[in-house]
Amino acid sequence: MVYSNIFKDHLTNPRNVGELSDATIVVEESNPVCGDRLRLSLVIENGRIETARFLAYGCPPTLVSGSMLTEMLIDKTLQNAAAITKADLIEAIGGLPVRKHHAAALAIEVLTSALKGINEGRPS
Amino acid sequence: MTGTHRIYLDHSATTPVDDRVASVMLQTLTKNFGNASSVHGYGQQARAAVDRARREVAALIGARQNEIVFVSGGTEGNNLAIRGLCEAIQQHGRHIITSTIEHPSVRGVCDSFEKHGWEITRLPVYDNGIVRVEDLRAALRSDTVLVTVMLANNEIGTIQPIREIAAVIREHREANRNVWLHTDAVQAAGRIELNVDELGCDLLSLSAHKLYAPKGVGALYVRRGVRLIGQNVGGHQERERRAGTENVPGIVAFGEAAKIAREELRVRTSYVKRLRDRFETAVTRRIDDVVLNGDPEHRLPHLSNFSFRYIEGEGLLINLDLKGIAVSTGSACSSGTLEPSPVIRALGRNEELARGSIRFSFGKDNTEEEVDYVVEVLTEAVARLRELSPLNKTLVTSDLR
Repeated sequence: MVYSNIFKDHLTNPRNVGELSDATIVVEESNPVCGDRLRLSLVIENGRIETARFLAYGCPPTLVSGSMLTEMLIDKTLQNAAAITKADLIEAIGGLPVRKHHAAALAIEVLTSALKGINEGRPS
Repeated sequence: MTGTHRIYLDHSATTPVDDRVASVMLQTLTKNFGNASSVHGYGQQARAAVDRARREVAALIGARQNEIVFVSGGTEGNNLAIRGLCEAIQQHGRHIITSTIEHPSVRGVCDSFEKHGWEITRLPVYDNGIVRVEDLRAALRSDTVLVTVMLANNEIGTIQPIREIAAVIREHREANRNVWLHTDAVQAAGRIELNVDELGCDLLSLSAHKLYAPKGVGALYVRRGVRLIGQNVGGHQERERRAGTENVPGIVAFGEAAKIAREELRVRTSYVKRLRDRFETAVTRRIDDVVLNGDPEHRLPHLSNFSFRYIEGEGLLINLDLKGIAVSTGSACSSGTLEPSPVIRALGRNEELARGSIRFSFGKDNTEEEVDYVVEVLTEAVARLRELSPLNKTLVTSDLR
């Protein structure tokens, strides 16, 4: 399958790259099979995601999933953020080949882990 | 350099068909289209064209024309060499020596023989990507029937010491005369001088599409006196070593490309080496944390393989592709496997370096201007991907505010 224009745009101009010095939480997860890594930093204010940043190592779908996820998270309530699914992310990217779905799964995993950390009152 | 200009730096994967080759090939598609086995004039014309091509391919490697068997490409040549020889001489032993960096077609046949009870010794390469002759000497046994080591590697371009390997095998033949040497020369042909007598090999595989001819044709050199059982049976073609109507247009194109490669070899070699050296000088000057994979001296002149630390190869490949630049990577994602390049791993590099490896292979039609443009785009893409990478940044978790 040919990647979408949205995909190419995020790959060449990734959004919200980096880390936040005032992050509420920083979480990094990796795919134990292929070694891809995704780090997510969030600033939470009054139950809402104020800012999000990401860092990623891995194949292009992992980089693009990280970039798109941050765009989807900013301004969302924690409750709405928790409702984002792998399918939502893949749709937002404009589709992914099935063998690359693990990239979106990693992004959702890091999000789930961050939200869990916030609920439990721990940084990571 | 505009956005629409495309730059092909993947000549180790395949090459465009040379216009001169295409024009000769076209004649055999539309006019001299006979079956080379037919007795009539059309057939005779096709036979003569195949014979001419056989002479040219033989001349490229310093062989006699009746030592050339036309096949469909490198993979078939490697399969025919190993299967055909081992089937013919298995009563003398069932032990094969190969290397850890062979092309998948050689690796695959050896793995398959292993499943059928043969013993395979895989010689290591060291951090320079080259096998050591003393390891071969130690591995040779009384039941060894075949040594198959590639002439030049397809990912890192390292040139293996085939001449020295042949000398060790010759010594060993005094005790065991049933051991033969095959070399996969698919990447080497048309890029360095080849002579089967100087190399001392008994079998040598070639592929046409690496030297500006079309895909679907190749050749296996079989030294006179070497027994080989055909794997395609049911026809007398290629002296019963490869049954099936000859791919006359492909063979004729291969012959023409071999002739041009022989005539232009020196010019091409020094030209691509100049481009490659210009590229490597600029890359190592402009980009930090790069590792050159393979021996800097003993390698093909047209190829450069770098690992870029902290980033993954496919991300870099697609960034370059979006700018019209075609390269290859040893990243697992790209090959559809879970393991990154076994060749880069065999050099002792860690997984990150194997995943971050990119092969740039230059061709006769690339220009210095293209090289300079690629360096610009590459420098920028590497910097962007590194900015994104968590590998070069310590994970510092913050307290919940």
